Amino acid sequence: MKAALFDYERPDGLDGALALLSRDDLSVRPVAGSQSLGPMLNLRLVQPDLLVDVSRLPELTGIRRDGDHLVIGASVTHARLEDGDYPDVTGGALARVAAGIAYRPVRNRGTIGGSLAHADPAADWVSALTAMGASVVLAGPAGRRTVPMDGFILGVFETALQPGEVIAEVRVPAFSPAARWGYYKVCRKTGEFSHATGAVLLDPPRGVARAVIGAVSGPPLVIDDPAVFTDPARRDAVAADRLATSSIAGDPAAIRTHMVALARAIAQVNP
Amino acid sequence: MDTPPTAAGVGARVRRKEDERLLRGRGRFVGDIAMPGMLELAFVRSPVAHARIRGFEIPEEHRDAVFTWADMAAAGIRPIRAVSGLPGFKVSEQPALADGKVRFVGEPVAVCVAATRAEAEDIAAQIFVDVDELPVNTDMLEAVKPGAPKVHEHWADNVFLETNVGGSIADVAATAPIKVSRSIRTARQCMVPMEGKGVLAHWDRQAEQIVLTASTQLPHIVRAGLAECLGIEQGLVRVIAPDVGGGFGWKGLLQPEEVVAAWLAMKLDRPIRWTEDRREHLVAAANCREHHYEITAYADERGKLLGLEADAWVDAGSYSVYPFSACLEAAQVGSILPGPYDFQNYRCRTFSVATNKPPIVPYRGVARTGVCFAMEQMIDAVAEAVGREPWEVRAENLVPPEKMPFDNITKKHFDSGDYPESVRQAVAAIGLEGWRARQTQGEPDGRMIGVGFATYCEQAAHGTAVYHGWGIPMVPGHEQAQARVTPDGGLELRVGVQSHGQGMETTFAQVAHEVLGIPIAKIKLVHGDTGLTPYSTGTWGSRSMVMAGGAVATASRQIAERLRKIGAHLLQARVEDTVLRGGAVHAGAASVSIKEIAHTWYRAPQLLPADVDRGGLELTAGYKPKSDHGTFSYATHAVAVAVDPDLGTVEILDYVVVEDAGTMVNPMVVDGQICGGVAQGIGTALYERVPYDETGQPLSSTFADYLIPGFTEVPHVRIIHMVTPSPYTEFGVKGIGEGGAIAPPAALCNAINDALRPLGARVTSSPMTPDAILSAIAEAGR
Amino acid sequence: MTKTITLTINGRRVTAQVSPRTHLADFLREQQLLTGTHLGCEHGVCGACTLLIDGQPARSCITYAVACDGRAVTTVEGLDADPTAAELRDAFSAEHGLQCGFCTPGMLVAARDVVLRKPDADDRQIRVEMSGNLCRCTGYVGIVNAIRRVLDARKTNAG
Repeated sequence: MKAALFDYERPDGLDGALALLSRDDLSVRPVAGSQSLGPMLNLRLVQPDLLVDVSRLPELTGIRRDGDHLVIGASVTHARLEDGDYPDVTGGALARVAAGIAYRPVRNRGTIGGSLAHADPAADWVSALTAMGASVVLAGPAGRRTVPMDGFILGVFETALQPGEVIAEVRVPAFSPAARWGYYKVCRKTGEFSHATGAVLLDPPRGVARAVIGAVSGPPLVIDDPAVFTDPARRDAVAADRLATSSIAGDPAAIRTHMVALARAIAQVNP
Repeated sequence: MDTPPTAAGVGARVRRKEDERLLRGRGRFVGDIAMPGMLELAFVRSPVAHARIRGFEIPEEHRDAVFTWADMAAAGIRPIRAVSGLPGFKVSEQPALADGKVRFVGEPVAVCVAATRAEAEDIAAQIFVDVDELPVNTDMLEAVKPGAPKVHEHWADNVFLETNVGGSIADVAATAPIKVSRSIRTARQCMVPMEGKGVLAHWDRQAEQIVLTASTQLPHIVRAGLAECLGIEQGLVRVIAPDVGGGFGWKGLLQPEEVVAAWLAMKLDRPIRWTEDRREHLVAAANCREHHYEITAYADERGKLLGLEADAWVDAGSYSVYPFSACLEAAQVGSILPGPYDFQNYRCRTFSVATNKPPIVPYRGVARTGVCFAMEQMIDAVAEAVGREPWEVRAENLVPPEKMPFDNITKKHFDSGDYPESVRQAVAAIGLEGWRARQTQGEPDGRMIGVGFATYCEQAAHGTAVYHGWGIPMVPGHEQAQARVTPDGGLELRVGVQSHGQGMETTFAQVAHEVLGIPIAKIKLVHGDTGLTPYSTGTWGSRSMVMAGGAVATASRQIAERLRKIGAHLLQARVEDTVLRGGAVHAGAASVSIKEIAHTWYRAPQLLPADVDRGGLELTAGYKPKSDHGTFSYATHAVAVAVDPDLGTVEILDYVVVEDAGTMVNPMVVDGQICGGVAQGIGTALYERVPYDETGQPLSSTFADYLIPGFTEVPHVRIIHMVTPSPYTEFGVKGIGEGGAIAPPAALCNAINDALRPLGARVTSSPMTPDAILSAIAEAGR
Repeated sequence: MTKTITLTINGRRVTAQVSPRTHLADFLREQQLLTGTHLGCEHGVCGACTLLIDGQPARSCITYAVACDGRAVTTVEGLDADPTAAELRDAFSAEHGLQCGFCTPGMLVAARDVVLRKPDADDRQIRVEMSGNLCRCTGYVGIVNAIRRVLDARKTNAG
């Protein structure tokens, strides 16, 4: 189980990386920790000509506070987010989500940007950052643009990234002190990819009452409706309604599991 | 025994001699070995389950690096043939590379040779196999119907073998007050040793032998099978098992890839290495456990079993594996389905069914895991029908201790023990009353509590008669060990079995130490090398400690006699006045150490007595237990679970094993075998399945799809030992290697159904996944 | 298509030519003859290949050698003199935390990380933290007991 031949470059700066990524004579992919891409390479499910290593780009490896946002470089590892050596704005929610991703040796290498670019619907950051109202900053040949998470993930392994673009940063809005975060994923084993995810943020001072159903073989389902937090019947009705038009519509057991995941995430914010 | 037990002898919890090298990464597994000029293999494997091969497209530049069966056949290589002598057995031939037809996804069809595995895979990726697809058998129950596509065209049907055990039970069926029936199924699994299969073949020019360094449990058997396929004398073949990273049965066969590697090493005169990668394992080695039962139990109003009848199907896959054959598992079902129970009427019909899946290989517990899953569900079903606690019905039906030794309905000879007591101790240890109270109260989180039990007995160290009866290429007879006192007073032991995690380098040293008193640090075990060890059928069937351990004890005793003779001479005493104790021969107050005796034999032979045994301090001794029926270890497993009715998930809250392994040579190793077996049994029960689509494609090819239990899925198993020494073996040991893996699916199934009972839901098939449990609940709600 | 990398392996500075597609485990095993790092799945799940990169546990089967230029890699062979690893080796042997030994190098690296990073872990936390390493032989009981033993001994010695 060995990867097909590929070439590898590790430019010093983001501009150099973007120049390589915009080559159209080769199939080029950015790589950071290679924790999602590595298995696909070894299984020969992807066979790029060139990997551009962005894991050490100084522009992508920092975490900083920018006004009412935490700005996380795309090449920041899950382990760093788990360990919390940054000015957190989420009351520990980022660390909690990070600690549940795969296993520590994977978290030591895997990055937040890599996970989002990979866009597995079952991935933690896909659902969690959508519920947090985060956005991603994409850098490309035409400059930078910011895309909200709700709109970045377009499908299974499908994102708003255009050819030549790379995720530069993730911007997470600061929770208010009153915010409550709920996160529940259904896994048969520790560290396994989620079968159903509920991610919810209830932050009344900011007017946020967002529920997300994730791991649905497509973009996460976003429900911005405060009533689902207080009214179980409405919660189930809205969730069932959204799931009925989702990619798992034909699978009643999966629909039920996703509704349970959502209910349990909401239960965490409703003591 | 000549010497009292010591801190390192039989029964001691001795640290393993193997540990040091393995803990420092200095083990030596096949993949760790490289040779100058070595080439590596990548196999082109069938992408479809059933097809005729029209041809291959091989890029011209790789012509010399790609080989097919045509090349092997031209060289006179023969297909693998594993025939059973049971009447009616249909023979399959498995060419090491497909011969014009493929019968399962993952079957090797061509092989590519290159300097590295990656380059060999590059070549393999460029080979196009042109196939005409054929209709596929993916389900054994469909495959036995008239008109099903045939796996082997020249057969009349897809049944390797049908067996019938027992007689008519029509009388019981007509009169029994209680009759319960179930359809029960277990899933196709992979064994998943952490090290895949591996082989390094090279031609030893000096020895003029093809040397196969392979991760195998049965080097001597592989040698015999390989020689047959290569068409050469066995003397031209040497098989060496280095450190082997787990086996569980998967390394207990001659593999097509081994034949290919050996042939290429001879043809190309270069060392050839192949290591199975995980995808190859999960696809081409999806080869075990798949049973289906239609089973009915008859009982009286108290739940006493009156009779049992069953039809059982085992999905044997596409070919018969060497040496165990395609029928061993199903035929065993017929003889062991009655389990540890005492009842009088029995009928069982079994079918070994050929399908378009990988050939069945016996996995730890072999047929017992499926049999126990079926039988123990029936005990609980009877208990439910008569409104009693399952453990009570179980205990009352088990063979009672006063009947031991006991010959059961299928002539299995249970040697010793108190089976009902294992149930009572399990009830106490799991704390059944407490769980029942908690069930009544209900859980605050809405989960449902269940408790389940399962009891089995396991025939281990199978004897000659039963394997002679199968008529397969391997019949265990006397097991041998060689012992040699070294000139410095140490001991070398040579056995033909192979240790791949069982710790035999330590436990066999304990056995020899028990007899001779030589410190275990000075006892060296040589194993797993046909060039260096006595013939053996190898490590399988929980046999090594009983058989090879017994042989080590026997050889050690004979060495002791020779030591005493020389020692008596040196002490100027009569042999009958000497004892061997603590590593020295004593006569009254005088003594001479084994080291001094060894020095005399090797370095001062002028001092030897005239009548000394000219064989010296080196001999081979053979051993068989007093009974040819093997040993019968047994256990009751008890498990408490919480089932989440909303998600169908199962959490194991407590797990207890009450078992009787007879005398334990090293209790630490015994516990390790049990815990490891239980973990595998939990995998069978809750997680592991290779699903196939309707075209025979396996739908799990990575660890993301095929789940084996990890740290958080396996509980801190609690073990209680009942020690009833076997009356038939050295020290009273019983085989225990497989037992842990037998009962967990049954115990968990009974526990889950105990939890689901208020919902009227029931599961009868493994694995009991969330989907299966949710659909059982949904079914009950309809 | 090779690249030159310079890295530290078990304290030794090494410069080597690697094909970018060669993962770190293959590089160590085949080119550096450090066969203590084992390959159990080559897709990042089983943990047998776990080693340290700049002191942090990582999967060497889905990390490419070329990406380790300038890094410090420590394999099980490099832990001979490491005091935490020594305590763990002793505890693994005492508690029968290994059978066939194939998963063991990865287990030791992961266990060492738990001991250093989670000194107060209870048994449940040990299991969660170790969940990225699979063993098919032991049923994990001996491994959990071994880590427990080291954590307890460290507390006793510290207290």
